[in-house]
Amino acid sequence: MNKIKWMGVVLALLVSSTCVTAAEFEVVSEGLYNPCGVAVQPETGHVFVADSGNLKVVRIVDGKPQDVIVDFGTDVYGKGPKYQVGPLGIAFLDTNTLVVGGGGSPDGEEKLYAFTVPAVGEPAIKASEANSAMNLAPGDEIKGEGNFYALAVTNDAVYVTCNGDDTKGWVSKATRDGNKLASFERYLATKEAVEVDAPVGITVSPDGHLVVGQMGEITVPEDGLVTFYRPNDGKMLANFPIGLSDITGLAYSPGGQLYAIDFCWNDTTKGGLFQLIRDENDAAVAKPQKVSELDKPTAMAFDAEGNLYVTVVGSGEGEDTSAAGKLLKITGLK
Amino acid sequence: MFNRGFAVLAVVLLAVGTLSAEEILDLKVPAGLKPLKIPADNPLTEAKVELGKQLYFDPRLSGNNEVSCASCHDPKHGWADSKDRSVGVPGERLGRHSPTIINAGYQRFQFWDGRAGSLEEQALGPIQSPAEMNMNLDTLTKKLNAIPGYRNQFKQVFGTEVTAENIGKAIASFERTVLSGNAAYDRYKAGDEAALSEGALRGRKLFFGKANCSACHAGSNFTDNGFHNIGVGIDLAEPDVGRQSISKLSGDRGSFKTPTLRDVDRTAPYMHDGSMATLEDVIEHYSKGGIDNPQLDEEIFKLDLTDQEKKDLVLFLKEGLASQNYPMVEVPTLPE
Ligand code: HEC
Ligand code: HEC
Repeated sequence: MNKIKWMGVVLALLVSSTCVTAAEFEVVSEGLYNPCGVAVQPETGHVFVADSGNLKVVRIVDGKPQDVIVDFGTDVYGKGPKYQVGPLGIAFLDTNTLVVGGGGSPDGEEKLYAFTVPAVGEPAIKASEANSAMNLAPGDEIKGEGNFYALAVTNDAVYVTCNGDDTKGWVSKATRDGNKLASFERYLATKEAVEVDAPVGITVSPDGHLVVGQMGEITVPEDGLVTFYRPNDGKMLANFPIGLSDITGLAYSPGGQLYAIDFCWNDTTKGGLFQLIRDENDAAVAKPQKVSELDKPTAMAFDAEGNLYVTVVGSGEGEDTSAAGKLLKITGLK
Repeated sequence: MFNRGFAVLAVVLLAVGTLSAEEILDLKVPAGLKPLKIPADNPLTEAKVELGKQLYFDPRLSGNNEVSCASCHDPKHGWADSKDRSVGVPGERLGRHSPTIINAGYQRFQFWDGRAGSLEEQALGPIQSPAEMNMNLDTLTKKLNAIPGYRNQFKQVFGTEVTAENIGKAIASFERTVLSGNAAYDRYKAGDEAALSEGALRGRKLFFGKANCSACHAGSNFTDNGFHNIGVGIDLAEPDVGRQSISKLSGDRGSFKTPTLRDVDRTAPYMHDGSMATLEDVIEHYSKGGIDNPQLDEEIFKLDLTDQEKKDLVLFLKEGLASQNYPMVEVPTLPE
């Protein structure tokens, strides 16, 4: 690609900005167990959380979690500290259709689900009552996929970060048929593109590009990448070694600014919320600017008004995080 | 492929105002490697690299005038040691096998457990270690200041007498020039379809696919720079806990840094304890799924490779990753 063109592409990808607004924080809900997904319901503005360690998806009403979908499978992530996980990424396709990425089954059997969510006051449904559920089974030469960590929705597809085959680092693509999933296939081999492990955070930029946060090694600080791909053909457009350690979530504010959360596995005291800002002098460089520290952030979503919701695992007694999780609301971001 | 095209020229960060541009060494990294980042406070110059080379090969840096860096990181043995565990000054065996210093300039961490970051930081360690070179730094700087050849070079390169810090900087600069790239693998990747034999091509496919090697040995230096437990030595009565001793995380028990595989055919024996004599032994270990233990990495599992697949993988490592311009360096004339 010639240099001028490449600069042009990059300029369009990240909005430059010089100062970060003072943000305000509010704890919306406490007592969650390793929450790993958050989504804002269109029209109602209700916030849904994957209360992962409790193996369910909940709706937060007046700060209290109400069960919406229960009885997901369970698995353990990490070798110590260890985190119990169930459902991971969640995203709405429309007001009542919620897609949920599973994290509680062995690779290959892990499912991506589509549910019609029960209305407020109606009883919770079970994971087995999904409208549809699809997996990515192993093949002769290819490993099965699992840990569907985060989801990004475009007009015609759902892109899903996966954590099965570490030689490929798949972002998979699902299509829909009404309130069901129509197809689910491996799509972007991010590890082949950037030679670094683990796509985890994902979002769609205002101009329609897929933005993927590559986590890198959890034992290596500051090796995270933010990579832009064209969704229709999977072409990589730009790759920023951003200087964050373990990006678990990415989201654009309604004002078009890109934010990331960093779990920072090797030293979780360094984790937090960051605004990603393009260097004014070098279009190939972007840097994180810390908005705030966060205690093991896992997922993020903006509502239409520009309020940011972030889930954090939090810290409990020793390694016990079974009631340490929180849903935070952050206001005042650009 | 805009992110690959820049691999020819190293990124040289100029220290503010200390050196003029023409003194800076324009390090050409071999094909297939990424530009090498040079720390701003230790720019590469030809004279500094030359000085570092002399220090690297000079046994006078040790307490008994017998051990140099090259004793354990020998260019004739892939810049590693042919012994399973190296022997230092008093004839004492060290706790771990000497890793190669090839491409160490690219590493995020030094040592099997990653306890050092920069090469500058690392270099003064073995000199002082009682089991390795057993030399006090004050004694060493006095000793080298008394050698006019060294004294003059330090004056010329750093504008100072011999200092411990600048010994570290010179050695680190030399190490940054010990690079291995331009292997058959790189030429194949760049489009030369005849670069790899059929067997090595099959091995390549296994390496980046079914055999799962690239889950950890990834990128142009064949390492993710991370730490993993693959089970080596974990079945001993008192296993080396590796990275855990630094990170204090229980999940890191028995984890070691993923080593580069460039020119790996020359660096036998293998692993942090030198317990595997051949690449065939290494492949056998992976094929059976390592040695089971609670911290065994998820990416290590039974591969059940056929005999042919094992041969192909070994062939890929030997033929595919051997540099065409192996960084052979002869012992330089040492200053008097
Ligand atoms: C007596 C043998 C011995 C001598 C002499 C020695 N080393 Fe080492 N070196 C080792 C061993 C063993 C390790 C690995 C130790 C560990 O990881 O705990 C090592 C590790 C290293 C590493 C880290 C490489 C990696 O991939 O992590 C570098 C760089 C290095 N040595 C450079 C030097 C330099 C420079 C000198 C001379 C000043 C030197 N060594 C002298 C044995 C030696
Ligand atoms: C889970 C990560 C991981 C995977 C997968 C992996 N390796 Fe390794 N490899 C390592 C680590 C870590 C070490 C060092 C372990 C030690 O010393 O205890 C190592 C060591 C080696 C060594 C010894 C190098 C030396 O200088 O001592 C070779 C050769 C090697 N691996 C080849 C392979 C091949 C071939 C495969 C695929 C069949 C593979 N590795 C898969 C992480 C991995």
